[in-house]
Order: sequence, then structure tokens, then C-alpha cells
Amino acid sequence: MSSEYILQMKNVTKRFPGVVALSDVSISLKKGEVLAICGENGAGKSTLMKILSGSYTSREYEGEIWIDGKKTDFSSVAVAEANGIEMVYQELNVMLDASLAENIYVGNLPMKGKFVDYKKLYSDTRAMLDKVGLELDPRQRVRGLNSGQMQMISIARALSKHPRIIVLDEPTSSLTDKETNILMDTIDTLRREGVSLLFISHKLDEIFRIADRVVVMRDGSVIATEAVSDVTEDQLVEAMIGRTIDNLYPKAAAPIGGEVLRVEHLTVPHPSNKGQNIVEDISFSLRKGEILGIGGLVGAGRSEVLSAIFGYITRGVTKRILIDGQEARIASPMDAIRSGMGYITEERKQTGYIWVHSVRENLTLACLKKLSRFGFIQKKQETDMAAEMFRMLDIRAPSLETMLVNLSGGNQQKVVVGKWLLSQPRILLIDEPTKGIDVGTKAEIYKIMNDLTHQGVSIIMVSSDMPELISMSDRCLVLSNRHITGEFTGTEITQENVMKAAIAS
Amino acid sequence: MSKENQKGKTLLRALLSKNELGALLPLVLLLIVVAFVNPNFFMRRNILDIMRTASFSFMVAMPLTFLLASQGLDLSVGAVTSLGGIICGMALKAGLPLPLAILCALLSGALVGTINGFFAIKSNLPVFIATLGTQYMVNGFIAITTNNVAISNFDTSFKQLSQYRLFGEVPMPILYAIILAIVGQIILSKTRFGREVLAIGGNKETAYLAGIKVNQRRMITFIATSVFSALAGVLTASRFACAQPAAGSGTELSIMAGVIIGGTSMFGGQATVIGSALGAILLATITNALILMNVSTLWQSFIYGFILIVALYVDKYRRKVLSGE
Repeated sequence: MSSEYILQMKNVTKRFPGVVALSDVSISLKKGEVLAICGENGAGKSTLMKILSGSYTSREYEGEIWIDGKKTDFSSVAVAEANGIEMVYQELNVMLDASLAENIYVGNLPMKGKFVDYKKLYSDTRAMLDKVGLELDPRQRVRGLNSGQMQMISIARALSKHPRIIVLDEPTSSLTDKETNILMDTIDTLRREGVSLLFISHKLDEIFRIADRVVVMRDGSVIATEAVSDVTEDQLVEAMIGRTIDNLYPKAAAPIGGEVLRVEHLTVPHPSNKGQNIVEDISFSLRKGEILGIGGLVGAGRSEVLSAIFGYITRGVTKRILIDGQEARIASPMDAIRSGMGYITEERKQTGYIWVHSVRENLTLACLKKLSRFGFIQKKQETDMAAEMFRMLDIRAPSLETMLVNLSGGNQQKVVVGKWLLSQPRILLIDEPTKGIDVGTKAEIYKIMNDLTHQGVSIIMVSSDMPELISMSDRCLVLSNRHITGEFTGTEITQENVMKAAIAS
Repeated sequence: MSKENQKGKTLLRALLSKNELGALLPLVLLLIVVAFVNPNFFMRRNILDIMRTASFSFMVAMPLTFLLASQGLDLSVGAVTSLGGIICGMALKAGLPLPLAILCALLSGALVGTINGFFAIKSNLPVFIATLGTQYMVNGFIAITTNNVAISNFDTSFKQLSQYRLFGEVPMPILYAIILAIVGQIILSKTRFGREVLAIGGNKETAYLAGIKVNQRRMITFIATSVFSALAGVLTASRFACAQPAAGSGTELSIMAGVIIGGTSMFGGQATVIGSALGAILLATITNALILMNVSTLWQSFIYGFILIVALYVDKYRRKVLSGE
């Protein structure tokens, strides 16, 4: 007996140590339907995709997957492919120096005996390129294409396998408006041919334009499943954010003084999409003792803004920075530190600490100049300074000489914070202050931030953690689509306002 | 895990955290073995001979320790050693006074070091292949300028640089090496420069974000390595009273093996100058022991290669144990 549904996920729960990434999720997809899935950062969309692609085997989660009304064991990626499921990921995944044809038909080349049938390969590729609206030569190399075209190549690769179900993860994030239109038309054609699509997106206008039904996810659960025609944008936003904030965030507002930092006409090129900017001509200011939050979705350019201000990324960046009303030339982190800034990056391991060095060496890294006399590090002064910070931040490590690699994530973060406290900045840039650390340490980090603002330090904080952003910020900017799409103060900083601005275009 | 096992692990950790042990333990073992086979080994003359050989390697190994600590690499040190001797010899033959001739040699080293640094830092080329390229170019340059003919017949004053014996016993190169070892270890462990070099090797991005002049520091390590290689070349020429076009060829890998086995990590961030000195002594002892034990010198290459691989394994394993995996 054939089922109305081509794909059903029934009561899927996926646990990671300490977190439930998906909790009792059920989703069903009809033949020839476009089903949109939307939700905030961390709602569980990526985990859901990994389960569907077979990246997690059926033993690693609870729940069942049914194809055509039959229970199917998704034990590997091969099973997903055999059932006609193709994934198109957000991160581009192409071979830059292979031809378009080889990229599209990789692993699936048409053969004549033992040799590749190039004639058929190129004519098949031509047909696929037409389908996605690319007027390019099948023989040309991928290198040199823009990211929108590369995204289309990835979609063509999925189409070439004649799938029954296509999963698209944020497919338009690197596309221009024109390319988005072509993609929408392609999706429409596929739907009429009977292909089913899962369309993961947080762009509501696209969802309303192309999807038949929409699933809203939040914190690993399905909150709502509605026909698109039955809901309004406001209802979707509400469903995406409706969460109560617990009292983990002891914000203690400090007196706010005059302007200390002014950023004018900041433009930062996109890190991967050639020729595009991730933020364009934005301006804002920061006042003494203030915590300025920066919200927005992943990929909105929040981290890039901090890196550009600090002089960590400079290529293609245009900016004018004023500190205390004086223009400051910041061409490198060295300049920024000299101007009284500190920068706690998001990726601790890559850019925050040195894993084979001790707690002491990590803590004093940004103030070695102060600690040195005639080029020699003053050993006693260094140890005293590090020991004081060690006590003050209550870093849990056997000793000051323990290597960072042996510390927990929360304690590593404390060391990184301590490093910047020792450099005594007046302006502290913090990217995701509590990413991947435990609840107890989180509260301690917030307390440090409060103490700092009371001492007159100003903070710019990027955060994807909505409750954190809302309760810690005195003022909050939201970035979306290259611009500042919202600025909220005090009680205006609500989940609803921030979320609406974050998905605005 | 059983208690003994746990205890064993702690002991292993304590041993491995003393980086220098990588060289010290094999050295002691070797000495014991050789002492049984050939008691002549411990004659004063032989010991001084080993130390002198080690001193020449160590002059290159010292700055190379800093270079490896910053995650750099230089395969052109052997060629630059030859170059230093040749340039100095040519300058002397052209009638330049000795100090100026030495300066010319050091400057030629500085030039090669700058080129290596430029490739690695500004152009971001893979340093292994790029310095291999400079190695060939420098060797080619030597071949062209000397027609592969050694330069000899030097004044006594030049020969005294290496051949003079302090108290009639200790060859000068040993004294030079001891001074270098002390100064090098102090710079590495006590100065801001040393700390910054280690930080760059440990995590270049973190170091840069902390306001460290990463490019400048790396450039200095490249230039220092080449300058000291050239100096080693000058002293080698002095020792043999002859500047040979191939004086340093093939030494780069054994010197690097000595540094690594001495406890400096190929992955950067951890280094010890004293360890590099022990490593140089170990390799010189092995060569010497092979001769005293009547093993054909043809085995040398093989054994050096083998030691280099062993050194890499020790380095890798050390990091694994220290990171608690």
C-alpha cells in the first residue's frame, strides 16, 4: 500500500553528552511538496539534516524513519542515497580545479566500457546546467565562479542523481536576488515533476513564496507545523522565539558615560564570497560603561565586524575609527591593543589560547611588553600577576604551570578572559562570551562583565544566545543582509524585536 | 585503570615533561655500551674530539632551535655553511682583513636568511620545499663561483680561530659553543623575544591577536639561522685550513634530528637550547662510537636517518602524553 507521505521521521530524539539536540521530532513530507523548516541558531536544523543524510547511523538516535510508508533503517549515507535523498549543504563543497561536468557527475561518470564517455558527460552536463539556469561551458573549471554559481553547481550535482527528495540548507545565503529567483523557479519546476523538497531557511519571504507547509523548530523540538497559507509572518516569529528567560543573567547596570568609541562607514568583504561584502557601510558608537550587544543570525557578519575593528582582518576593509573623538589608525591587533582594546574571539582553540603553554604563559601573553625590562621578562612580577588573576577568576587548574590542553572549556575561557583583563583594556570586544561552557562558569563570566562595566570598561558583545544578548546588553544592534537592521535600548530589547530585525532583508 | 598503571603514567609524564631527556637517556646508554666495547673512548683526546664535532653542529642547532620553536624550518643550513666558508675564503684571498672577511660571510648568510624568511612569511610558501630550493640555489652559486675547487693556503691568524687550544687542550669551537648555549638558553627562557617566538610556534593567530610582531619575530629567526650557519662555515674552513665547496652539505638533517631529539618540538611552541646541545653531542658520539666499534662509516647516513625518524616519534609521543590523551 503506498502512503501519502514519501518521508516520515517519527519521534526522533538525538542526544549529545549533556544536551538533547533533537527531542521527539516528527516530520512528514508529501510527494511533490516543498516543506520549509525554520528556527533560530541552534534549534536543531543541522542535526536533523545529518540524521536524514545517514551521517548519524540509526543506532545513534532514537526514533524511526519511514520511506513510502515503510520503516527504513538509515544505517549509512549509502542507504539515504539509495532511497533517493540528496543533500545540498550550505558550505560550498566543490573541487575548484575540476571541470563543471566532473563536479556535477563526480562518482557517477557515464562510462563507455572502461573509459569515461566524455561526449555523453558534456551533453548531460549541458542539460543539468540549463535546469539551474547557468550559461556556462561544461568543460570550464569551477575556480573563478562566484559563490552563487558554485551553489548552483552543488544543486545541479544533486539533481543529476534524479533524487526523489532534495534537502536544501540555507541555499540562498550566498545567492544574489537574480540567482535566488532562478532557484525559486527551479524548485517550482522540480515540485511539478513530483520531487519533494525540504527547504531549510530563516528567510521568511522565501518561505512564503515557495513553501507549501512550514515546520518551526526551537530548542530541538517541533513547535508548529502549518500550511503556509494559514500563518502570518508574526505568528512564525513568535513560534520561533517563544521562550522564557530564566534568571541566570544577573545584569547589574553600570552608570553609562560619554562616547568612547565610534565606528564609521565600516565595510568588510565576505570571507568566502568573492566580490561581495558581508557588512556594508555601517556606523555605530559605544559609550563608557556600556555593554553593546550585536545580534543577528550566523553568517550576518557579526564576528567580522569585531575582527575588522580590532585590525585582525584588514584586507578590503574600509573604516574610520574614533576613540574619545580622536581618529585612531588601527591596522593590526598591535595598534588596537595600544589604543586600549582587547578582543576575546569566538574560536578559543584557534585564536584564543596556546594549548601547549601553561596557564601563566597564556595569562600574560598580551602584556609581555609591560612585564619586560631591557627585553627580560620580570619573572616574579609575572608570576604574581598571573597568580592574582588565577585567584580572582577562580580558575580550576592544579597550578599556574598546568598546560591549557588539560583544562576544561570553561576554565580555558576564563584564562582567555584573564589574558585580556591583564592587558587592562578600556574597550573589550567579546565574541560569544559563553560558547560551549557550563552554566556555573557562564554566571561567573557575566559577573566579570558586570564588574568591568562598573570600572568604566565598555564592551561590545556578539552573541547567538538570545537570552544572554537580551539580558546583558544595555543597547543592542542587529545585523542582517549587510546592514544594521535594528537598534534597541533597554526594554525594547526583546526576543521578538531582535528576531524580526535578524530576518529582515 | 589499575593503580600501578596510573603511577606508571605519572612517571612517564614527569620524564617526558623534562624535554631534554629525549637526548640524555640514549646518550647515557650509548656511553655505557661504548665503554664496554672500547675503553679508548673515554680518553681525554677522544672526548674533546667529540665535543668539537658537536660544537660545529650546535652553532647551527642553536638558532635552528628558535626557528623550529616558531614552527619554521630551514633545509638550506648545510648549503649556507658551505657558503660562509667559501665567501670568507674568497674575501681573504682578495686581500680583505680577517674581520671584514668574516663580516662578508655573515652578510651572505643574512641575505639567504632574508630570502628564506621572505618566502615563508610574505609569500607563505611551504617552507620545506622553499628552503630546499634555496639549498640548491646556494649550492649552485658555490659551484659556479668556485668551479668546485676548494680554497686553501690561509694565514695562521685565520686558522687560529678554530685551531687554537685553550690551555693547550680545549679547542676554541667548544668555548664558542658553550657561550652560545648559555646565551641561547637565556634568550629562550628569560626574554620577551624567546617567549614570543614560543608563542608564535604554539599558536600564530593567538600570538598575533595578542599584539606580538609575528612577522618580524619569524624573520629574525630565519636570518639568525642562516647567519650562524655561515659562521659555522667560517669556523669549519678555519679548522681544516681549507674552504670546501661541500663543507656543510648533508648536515641539515642530522642537525635538525639533534634539535628534535633534544626536546624541541617540530610542531612548535616548545623548545630547549640545552636539549639541542645534548642532541648535537649525542649525534657526534654516535659517529665517534661507530668508528671506535669498527662499524663501517658507510652506515652513518642510514643511522642518522633512523635517528631522525625516532626523534619524530619521540616528539609526537611526548605531545600525546602531555596532552593527556
